[in-house]
Amino acid sequence: MEEQKKPSSLQIESVAASDTKRFKVPVDSEHKATVFWIFSFAAPHMRAFHLSWFSFFCCFVSTFAAPPLLPVIRDNLGLTRNDIGNAGIASVSGAVFARLAMGTACDLVGPRLASASLILVTTPAVYCTSIINSASMFLLARFFTGFSLASFVSCQFWMSSMFSAPKVGSANGVAAGWGNLGGGATQLIMPLVYELIHIAIGSTKFTAWRIAFFIPGVMQTAAGIAVVALGQDLPDGNYQKLQKAGDKHKDSFSKVFHHAVTNYRAWILALTYGYCFGVELTIDNIIAEYFYDRFDVNLRSAGMIAASFGLANIFSRPGGGWFSDLLSERFGMRGRLWGLWAVQSFGGVLCIILGLMDNLAAAIAVMLLFSVFVQAACGLSFGIVPFVSRRSLGLISGMTGGGGNVGAVLTQLIFFTGSRYSTQKGIALMGVMILACTLPTMLIYFPQWGGMLLGPRPDATEEDYYTAEWSQKERDSSYHSASLKFAENSVSERGKGRDSSTTVPVDTTPSHV
Amino acid sequence: MRAYGADLLTYDEHVIACFLVLGAGEDKITVSWGLNRSLPAGADEAYKEVEVRLCYAPASQADRGWRKTDDDLSKDKTCQFGVAVRPYTTTNSTSFEYELSRELPTATYFIRAYVLDFDGKVVAYGQTTDDRKAADLFEVVEISGRSLSLDIAAGCFSTFSVLLLLLFFVADRRKKAKE
Repeated sequence: MEEQKKPSSLQIESVAASDTKRFKVPVDSEHKATVFWIFSFAAPHMRAFHLSWFSFFCCFVSTFAAPPLLPVIRDNLGLTRNDIGNAGIASVSGAVFARLAMGTACDLVGPRLASASLILVTTPAVYCTSIINSASMFLLARFFTGFSLASFVSCQFWMSSMFSAPKVGSANGVAAGWGNLGGGATQLIMPLVYELIHIAIGSTKFTAWRIAFFIPGVMQTAAGIAVVALGQDLPDGNYQKLQKAGDKHKDSFSKVFHHAVTNYRAWILALTYGYCFGVELTIDNIIAEYFYDRFDVNLRSAGMIAASFGLANIFSRPGGGWFSDLLSERFGMRGRLWGLWAVQSFGGVLCIILGLMDNLAAAIAVMLLFSVFVQAACGLSFGIVPFVSRRSLGLISGMTGGGGNVGAVLTQLIFFTGSRYSTQKGIALMGVMILACTLPTMLIYFPQWGGMLLGPRPDATEEDYYTAEWSQKERDSSYHSASLKFAENSVSERGKGRDSSTTVPVDTTPSHV
Repeated sequence: MRAYGADLLTYDEHVIACFLVLGAGEDKITVSWGLNRSLPAGADEAYKEVEVRLCYAPASQADRGWRKTDDDLSKDKTCQFGVAVRPYTTTNSTSFEYELSRELPTATYFIRAYVLDFDGKVVAYGQTTDDRKAADLFEVVEISGRSLSLDIAAGCFSTFSVLLLLLFFVADRRKKAKE
């Protein structure tokens, strides 16, 4: 009966040799790549990687396109400090819920359609930023443009679908890191484009910044088209095609939702991510002004310092992902958890020190070190997220990502709005909050792999953990086949020293071998 | 931008009388200035140049730290636009017709004239408003930088992006139906 339902998957199972020849990179039983060749464009794995990071990069460029041009925009629109602060909070708050919705969308229709739709549907907000003429329209433009940051979730989901367990940390880290790069690149791109238009073409200041916004808009449109035209959801094809062939069971939203919100690990990771990525977003919004005011550097220098914070992402977030994979090779999941806690906590310490620095050179040095650790922590977080759930991977990625934005909103509200705390005190206190909100990492426990403080239960298996998300009836219909395959491949999270080469015993439903 | 070394607070008298005539609804203003006749003779010996600037009124400075007034002239951001620089003459009044820059933001303004000595230091000033900067202020309405072609371009590009997405959706559906 199963064979009739899924003829194509059966064929694939029985011709393992010609299987791997189909792909230009080595793959595992789920056809996920087992290597990560950054400079390759081989379809579908590496092509998905490049489409994913570049489209996410464009979203970051658009979302943070306004801050470097604020000295001109604020005069054109008559903005007050309050208006600017509110717009900054709005720019990161839209994505809180968008990231949750995006997670579900990925689970249901696949990352290719989900991300292309989001990216293209938010481009009008970018183009229309050039025709606004009031503070409230400015806030709305930044709010809707900020929704595009939800493409982070589809980016991570896509990488988790294309790359196997030993490489998923690196793939996620590089894709997200190079995407986040957009927040730094835009601080260089926008002033450059603005000056080109203002000086070379001769437009007035107030026209030049408006025209400049077409650059991020066009970039985003092109990226969205590329994703939908050239991308593919899974190594074997797109969701629609696979669902039709019966290879991929179309899951129900309520089940996916239930298994995401009842998994306590997802909530803890959402909190800790709020204090690495959320902190990164906050810094993107406030750091230029901080250096401008406290150390009396001019606006262009302040912009360059701000850009260098974001540009560190080119290696620091990927470095975090790579480090997570390295720790997992030796110490398994416990290594990943310890790595996250240690790196993020050290980032918190550096944040406290940054707020206390009085000397410009020292402050820049501490800020750069701080940027490396806080961004690496983001990479380390997403070395763990793919393992929390298989069925609700999208929604859990969304919860974690959304938690990041909630962290940014909260932090800006508490420490950087109004005149309660000076910016330097706010930065130091933010560091204390990072330390406090990273402690819950100690509570994450996987029965089959252990947690930071406790070892694994000897009788727990990966299969138990992942198939527990499916009811007996669903298992009888083999809807959980993808989870089974994933469980097999995730045995590597036991690390060296434990017998990671044992096949997971199949003692319940027969798999379709 | 000149470097000012003097503390404005020392000069709490209008030594220069400043007058302003606005063209109704137009973009030209005429500024005239002259020495306050009630001062003793010889007070103006050190005066070399008059620098006239366009300054933000308090209403336009509220909640905008980048336009803040600071007693230290080197940090003061009140008067961000230059109008004219003329040598100081002893005639009763000198006037200048200023065509408003096309890049002025919408705000409330007044005019201030700084008098510089031979070392370039500010030694006196005058302004078109009173000490509290409440009287005789004028408003400028900016040129927004928007235009019809921009509006059309924004609309076209936005529609184009969404249409392309729909096109691909439809193409996908067609492919799915064919299979």
